[in-house]
Amino acid sequence: MSPDRKQLMLGPISPAAPGALYQQIVDGFKREISEGRLAPGAPLPSFRLLAEDLLVSVITVKRAYEELEREGIIYRRQGLGTFVADHGLDRSRTAKLNTARDLIRQASREAAEAGLKPSEILHLARQIIQGT
Amino acid sequence: MNEHAIELRGLKKSYFPFQLGPLDLTVPRGAIYALIGPNGAGKTTALDLIMGMGRRDAGDIRVFGLDHQRDSVEIKRRAGYVGPELNFQVWGKVGRAVRFVRGFYPDWDDAYCAELMKVFHLTAGDRIASLSFGAKTKLSLLLALSHRPELLLLDEPTTGLDAISKQQVFAELLKAVEPGERTVLISSHGLADIERFADHVALIKEGRLLLHGRMDEVVDRFRLAEFFTADGRGIPFRDGFIVLKQEGNRWQAVLDQQQGIPGWLQSQGAQQLSLTPMTLEDLFIALVREKEAA
Repeated sequence: MSPDRKQLMLGPISPAAPGALYQQIVDGFKREISEGRLAPGAPLPSFRLLAEDLLVSVITVKRAYEELEREGIIYRRQGLGTFVADHGLDRSRTAKLNTARDLIRQASREAAEAGLKPSEILHLARQIIQGT
Repeated sequence: MNEHAIELRGLKKSYFPFQLGPLDLTVPRGAIYALIGPNGAGKTTALDLIMGMGRRDAGDIRVFGLDHQRDSVEIKRRAGYVGPELNFQVWGKVGRAVRFVRGFYPDWDDAYCAELMKVFHLTAGDRIASLSFGAKTKLSLLLALSHRPELLLLDEPTTGLDAISKQQVFAELLKAVEPGERTVLISSHGLADIERFADHVALIKEGRLLLHGRMDEVVDRFRLAEFFTADGRGIPFRDGFIVLKQEGNRWQAVLDQQQGIPGWLQSQGAQQLSLTPMTLEDLFIALVREKEAA
């Protein structure tokens, strides 16, 4: 068993959580990378090992890796394996920032539809961030 | 090495009034391939024919590129089978059944067999007659897996298993295909499990293939749609558009995105079209019902 196996702990991958399983794996890696638990150059487990670990099909893991590779967060070296890209940290953070922007946009639309004025929405956001 | 574990070409078999096929199916090597369909669709018939039980009426079956009749001994040596009618009771105890089956396979792996015994909570001294239904199924799986076959044919292996046992079985199957050379062809009604664990899926109904492909692509191809039409306006029937419910001008339907149905619907006057992803189970029910109605 490869040593990278036990170190890696993605969040729970469940059909009850929002998003397709492959998307949950993508998000899990982005979180590990953006929070520094997976450093640039670190190897990722093989498709099959991760599939076995997460109890999902190989196709699901493959699709998640393809997505991460497309976003430039990881790269594949023929015969060597898959690794976190040098810019993986920045790209993960950028991806997280984009997701946050979309969610804030959605939240402010919902709040506006509930009849809140922009100043009230900002007030609400401040309350939530400060935990009051 | 042949890249296909199984190739079926124009396979036919009839037990009046049921007819299987003509069925064309390719199972890639290294995959967990699921065969799903309603009761009586022909899943067991197809699996039995592949395993060399019963004669086909027409068509070709190739396993590892080998001819399924000429090379049947070679194929049986390299394949493992678990079916609903296997009965090991005559061997008395688990250990005796293991020793008996072991004798047929030069590739039998004692260490792996011992490991599976532990995982499945079986011991050599267990009396087979007093095992629960689920434990008997696990014994079948253990006997099929222990010679590390390149191909596993599993006919409803998780029927009657509790949630924990099911997870153990799928974990073992994922482990078995991990090196990338082994292939699993599994028939099952546990669609939520199948959606999670299988790489490929084929849906059969009345002996015919309705749909097949990579699991993610098959599931992602269809959407549950809700839309409205202007007063009194109907929508014509067409392939890839399955109406589930209609009340006045409000519609619910399943759409095949590959056939461009969302765009077509809008051209037919559908308004406020909203699309929701579907599970394999949703899709199964919609497709199988549609064919029943037709």
